[in-house]
Amino acid sequence: MVLDLKHVGLAYDGTREVLRDVDFVLDKGSFVFLTGASGSGKSSLLRLLFAALKPTRGHLRIFDQDVSELSASDLPKLRRRIGVVFQDFRLIDHLTVFENVALPLRVQGQSPTTYRQNVNDLLDWVGLAAQAQAYPAVLSGGEKQRAAIARAVISKPELLLADEPTGNVDPALARRLLHLFAELNRMGTTVLLATHDMALLSTIKAPVLHLQDGIVSEMAKAA
Amino acid sequence: MSKHIDIMPPRAASLNTLTATMAIMCYLACLAVGALILIDRAVDTWAKGLSQELTVQIREVSSSNIEADVAAAKELLAGFSGVVSVDDLGKDAGMALLEPWLGKEGLAELPIPRLLKLRIGTMDDAGLEVMSAALMARLPHASLDTHRRWEAELTRMAGTLSLLSMLVLALIGASTIAMVVSASRAVLESNRSIVDVLQLVGAENRFIARQMDKRFLATGLWAGLLGIILALATFYGLSRTGLGGAHGLAQATRSLFYVPTPDSWWAYGYLLAVPVAATALALLTSRLALLRMLRG
Repeated sequence: MVLDLKHVGLAYDGTREVLRDVDFVLDKGSFVFLTGASGSGKSSLLRLLFAALKPTRGHLRIFDQDVSELSASDLPKLRRRIGVVFQDFRLIDHLTVFENVALPLRVQGQSPTTYRQNVNDLLDWVGLAAQAQAYPAVLSGGEKQRAAIARAVISKPELLLADEPTGNVDPALARRLLHLFAELNRMGTTVLLATHDMALLSTIKAPVLHLQDGIVSEMAKAA
Repeated sequence: MSKHIDIMPPRAASLNTLTATMAIMCYLACLAVGALILIDRAVDTWAKGLSQELTVQIREVSSSNIEADVAAAKELLAGFSGVVSVDDLGKDAGMALLEPWLGKEGLAELPIPRLLKLRIGTMDDAGLEVMSAALMARLPHASLDTHRRWEAELTRMAGTLSLLSMLVLALIGASTIAMVVSASRAVLESNRSIVDVLQLVGAENRFIARQMDKRFLATGLWAGLLGIILALATFYGLSRTGLGGAHGLAQATRSLFYVPTPDSWWAYGYLLAVPVAATALALLTSRLALLRMLRG
């Protein structure tokens, strides 16, 4: 089991809950959409899922580990198994695209000679080979998005969490990125993709989790 | 491309203020170390002088012949092994000592004690006691002053001054630690978004803290070097001019830092320890502070 949530609640200020009684399970190798309007708690839920936050109630297990029992020193090991794509990319401005994408490998202690080829291959795959030495400031929104995706998947994570990964790109590129996620999923990565773009759901046949007012209110198959 | 690029931007959260304040701290530390060395050497020299020089006082009594007593004392004392020389300072020396208090008039008529100056090589306390007892047995109205009380006072004073210097060094160290902790927090906060990304991709806290090492290393080194250069300039100035006409200080500083004796090499060694200690302190403190902040 990759993710297991039971009656998970999250309250930032200790009183008003952003998430209430969230229950779902994500098996290894699954592909799931998470939908919901802005402010429904999607980003908060994603933050729980890569252990940036701990639930204020309920039980959350990631890779069969109870998050509430994890110590600070356990987190790096857990996060190396998870790739995260943020809506705001979170690229480091003074590092090139190559260096940004290589960051997860670098923190694992790999040397540039070891990962250079892998990073270049991945950049080629996401269509950023020509921008490898460019800095984020000169990239378009779509290019930044692809760089962020490349960074999330470079270390072949077991779980990929993506927050509005197609929010800044045109529909054609959105479909292409979605197929990229599907390809990763075929290679064994469990994917949870948060989006409010309902048109995207028809591109790939996958279960949909719908989050409304902090509650996962429905789970349906996409058309 | 085979070299890692710095993950932390080189110019974010400038450490110039820390470098400047640490340089001042290093300068003060160098002055404190210099003072410590000067006190130590000066007391060592004075104590050596005192412990190798003794004074014999022979009082003139009605039944005695002072000149015969002086001769007897000289003969007796010269017979002890360890005694290098025995000099009679003469009647004038005693008179000169009393003159400021009693005035010149009638001084010659007074029974002024005669003073003998003894120079000794090596003699332990037991040897001195034996010599004193022998002198008093032969001349009951004579006494041997070993200057031990003055030496003890001097040692106590030097100990207090050394303790104060060390206290100053400790305070400088504590202030530096506080400054580095504060600067570490500033660096961490100004790079928070990068730290968040690093944590997100699974970086361990040690890895993140290590990314800041280079900057604190440079800060410690620069501050230490600036501090020692300023201190050497100050010592040079003191050796040339003294302090408000304090020629003894000028001489002491000159002999300590600019005359090539083994002592001056040690002094340079102690001073060079300041930038090394500053660098180590900056590195270690920033590392521990950052790890603590990252954990929190």
